[in-house]
Amino acid sequence: MTTDLNQFPQLDKTKFEQRGIQLEIGVPVTCAVSIGNYIAAGFGDGTIRIFSSGEKHKTLKAHKGVILCMARDGDNILTGGDDGFFLKISLDGEINKITNFGSRWVDHVVAHNGNLVCSSGKVVYYWDKNKKEPKSLNHDSTIGGLAFDTKGRRLAVSRYGGVTIWKKDYSNKWKSTKLDWKGSHNKVSFSPDGKYLVTSMQENVLRCWRLKDKLDFAMSGYGSKVKSFAFIDDTSYLATSGAIDAICWPFDGEGPMGRTPICVPYVGNNQVTFIEPFPDEKAIFAGLSDGSVFLSQIENENNTIIIRSFTGSEVSAIAMTDDKSSIFIGDMNGNTLWTSIWDQ
Amino acid sequence: MENKHQVPVTVLTGFLGAGKTTLLNRILTEQHGQKYAVIVNEFGEQGIDNDLVVDADEEVFEMNNGCICCTVRGDLIRILSGLMKRADKLDAIIVETTGLADPAPVAQTFFVDQDVANKTKLDAIVTVADAVHLSSQIEDHHEAEEQIAFGDVILLNKIDLVKDENIDVVTKRIRKINPFAKIIKTTKCGAPLKEILNLDAFSLKRILEVEPDFLESDHDHEHDDDVTSLSFVSDKPLDMEKFQNWFGKLLQTKGQDIMRTKGILDFKGENDRYVFQGVHMLMDASPMGKWPDDKERSSRLVFIGRNLETMNLKEGFEACKSE
Repeated sequence: MTTDLNQFPQLDKTKFEQRGIQLEIGVPVTCAVSIGNYIAAGFGDGTIRIFSSGEKHKTLKAHKGVILCMARDGDNILTGGDDGFFLKISLDGEINKITNFGSRWVDHVVAHNGNLVCSSGKVVYYWDKNKKEPKSLNHDSTIGGLAFDTKGRRLAVSRYGGVTIWKKDYSNKWKSTKLDWKGSHNKVSFSPDGKYLVTSMQENVLRCWRLKDKLDFAMSGYGSKVKSFAFIDDTSYLATSGAIDAICWPFDGEGPMGRTPICVPYVGNNQVTFIEPFPDEKAIFAGLSDGSVFLSQIENENNTIIIRSFTGSEVSAIAMTDDKSSIFIGDMNGNTLWTSIWDQ
Repeated sequence: MENKHQVPVTVLTGFLGAGKTTLLNRILTEQHGQKYAVIVNEFGEQGIDNDLVVDADEEVFEMNNGCICCTVRGDLIRILSGLMKRADKLDAIIVETTGLADPAPVAQTFFVDQDVANKTKLDAIVTVADAVHLSSQIEDHHEAEEQIAFGDVILLNKIDLVKDENIDVVTKRIRKINPFAKIIKTTKCGAPLKEILNLDAFSLKRILEVEPDFLESDHDHEHDDDVTSLSFVSDKPLDMEKFQNWFGKLLQTKGQDIMRTKGILDFKGENDRYVFQGVHMLMDASPMGKWPDDKERSSRLVFIGRNLETMNLKEGFEACKSE
């Protein structure tokens, strides 16, 4: 059988692809975070690539296996891997081992103000910045996600059957409260205003709790698992993946209950797989299952521009530098784009 | 283009001491030129240390959709998604379940989770059985019986420690529970790996290739709590609507007791053979091409489970025959 390539539309490169740097790494991009005006990206072969404008990217071999999770700790990168290592890596490439769990994976990592947290299996390990040994916080089932609130006072731990919220009381003892909902909870996040907590579940649904009275409700209607979500413009919207549109739930005023979400549409039938906020704007980067990435204004669906055209592989990471000048995009086949956002 | 390559996953089950660890060590250490990852349980047998061994907790959880059969292995969803991000592509993944665990939630994970289903596929359930102790284990532990019932391949291990006539007794006991499994007699789990891994036992095509001879005749009804099997054959074409109504309702109401089903069906007015196979209430069915010219058209159906005699299966099946 022969394929006539001319029967497919010849897509031109976007202007972002033309002026940016595109790499074909060949292994999945698993995560990316901004560190000031640098972007650190983690890969399925344990390497980290650090991108900055005007310099060639730097490649570090950090883990033996997959980099499963990544977070920013000041000017450092924290990573957890399927080799059991929890590492702290500087932008200069200095790698420090925090701990090693052996054949147990480090599934999740977060940090706030120098306090470092990771989870491995059912246990959350919390390194207070003033202490050497971590505090273990135990749970009955494997941890699906970790999140600090904006002030770093509360730590949410999602798991089977709901979420455990940990905080220290006045005598510096750890206290927990539970938010129960049957089923397996994965990614978790506080709203930036601290009023809500959202989880994505194994089923194609989000669970949300209003924290002042623990009122809980579902946000449903998705065609697939919601792997990525983010609060937009403080707590104006919750933008979510898992459908062919980016589903944006209104969280201003009295919250999303009884209100319909805004659906930001994209051409074709590809699922949205990754959402990254454009800071301080009611706008999102949406990555799709075909590798394409769009920047859209939530309240004006006509205002969508294409950043990257399709690659054939689902978008698994998007990160923007703190100065909002450049973005990094990566997918499951290891195709990456590093580009400036603004025309020169 | 979407990469549709799915990594085959073998579920390895069997009672403590039957020889699962021996087999896993062989899989990890033999020179076979393949890359296998092994997911073991922390409470399992000791003695495996390898970069490609992943520790797991057997976390069985219910999907929150009201279907009691939708219990899945949450840890597997997490670990398989992680393994799919590896740079080096795996040739197969082996999931060890502990002696007492019911293999059904593992199998169901491959039907229920979309990401797992996209990137991996259930290859076969392999049960390691101890030829010395199996008979008494079946009497004392319903899990031993269930592991035999679910197996696509049964490694009857330690036959060097059993007299020939006793091997026949054990083999017959296995056949009574599970007529379609392939039984391989071994010492120290010494079967060639190609007979254990990458079998594609769950593909509908494979069911056509194997076409086990057990389907030729009915089995006796058993009036006890044991796991048993029943099979039915009809040379008269079935009425598709009647069959769908009966079978759908049957799985919905009796899916807990029905552990495995397999079948090849001849529907009136259809040119294609219909093939299906299921684990509890979950079922995969599809037309699989035209009937071969050299074969008589007929419908064959097999059930493995508990309390099958109470389900009026024969009557239900008979009633599906076309007018």
